[in-house]
Amino acid sequence: MNKEPDDKVLRVVNQIGELSRVEVFLEELAEEWSLPTPFVFSINLVLEEALTNIILYGFDNDSQHTIDVCFTKTGNELSISIFDDGHEYDPTLKTDPDITLPLDERPIGGLGIFLVKKIMDKVEYQRKENRNILILTKNIGS
Amino acid sequence: MNVTVKNLNEFTVVSIEGRIDTTNANEFEKMVMEVIDGGCSKIILNCAGLNYISSSGLRIFLIVLKKMTALKGQFRLSNIQPGIREIFDISGFSSIFSIFPDIEDASKD
Repeated sequence: MNKEPDDKVLRVVNQIGELSRVEVFLEELAEEWSLPTPFVFSINLVLEEALTNIILYGFDNDSQHTIDVCFTKTGNELSISIFDDGHEYDPTLKTDPDITLPLDERPIGGLGIFLVKKIMDKVEYQRKENRNILILTKNIGS
Repeated sequence: MNVTVKNLNEFTVVSIEGRIDTTNANEFEKMVMEVIDGGCSKIILNCAGLNYISSSGLRIFLIVLKKMTALKGQFRLSNIQPGIREIFDISGFSSIFSIFPDIEDASKD
């Protein structure tokens, strides 16, 4: 049986400190939607990676920008859409790092978006009305 | 995040409690570097209380491993929780770090 989807929106500004609000928001969402703890861990990680990228590299000026994070639960699937008005950037096009390199050849960093792609079932990007939209989907599991 | 430091045989055991994320990764780096700069060449990072890590934290783990390797020291990880282990596996970190089930195993030569 298909239930009506549930929706929640979290609005943050382009400051790293906002990540702690994401954590609190997810704790509340986990309780309300009965999300399993390992799943919440994954979602927290993915959101931190995506938002950190937007906050640190997405904007060409220092002025305040809002980033909307919309959560939709349809049956056993969670979909998260992140909207920002930064410059056009499609993270799905980023080349994956080579995770088989030995220690001395391993570059420092560059794992964030790779983790997002590996953890989520689906990662899609759209550019609409001067906004980046990153849509992340994952099955909630049991 | 809380970090405590103890000695066990010739090893220095650094225990982390809590999260390592973008907001505190620099603080974590500073604390571990202080231990290394204090002259410890054999370090066990006890991850029993580590319940969250993001790429900012992984970055510091790799910086520390590279530094300890360059210094011909040892940097071992113990008690990694399953959720964190999964992130290590995805990142390919499981094959470059020395990972032990517990502190006792990690402190054997």
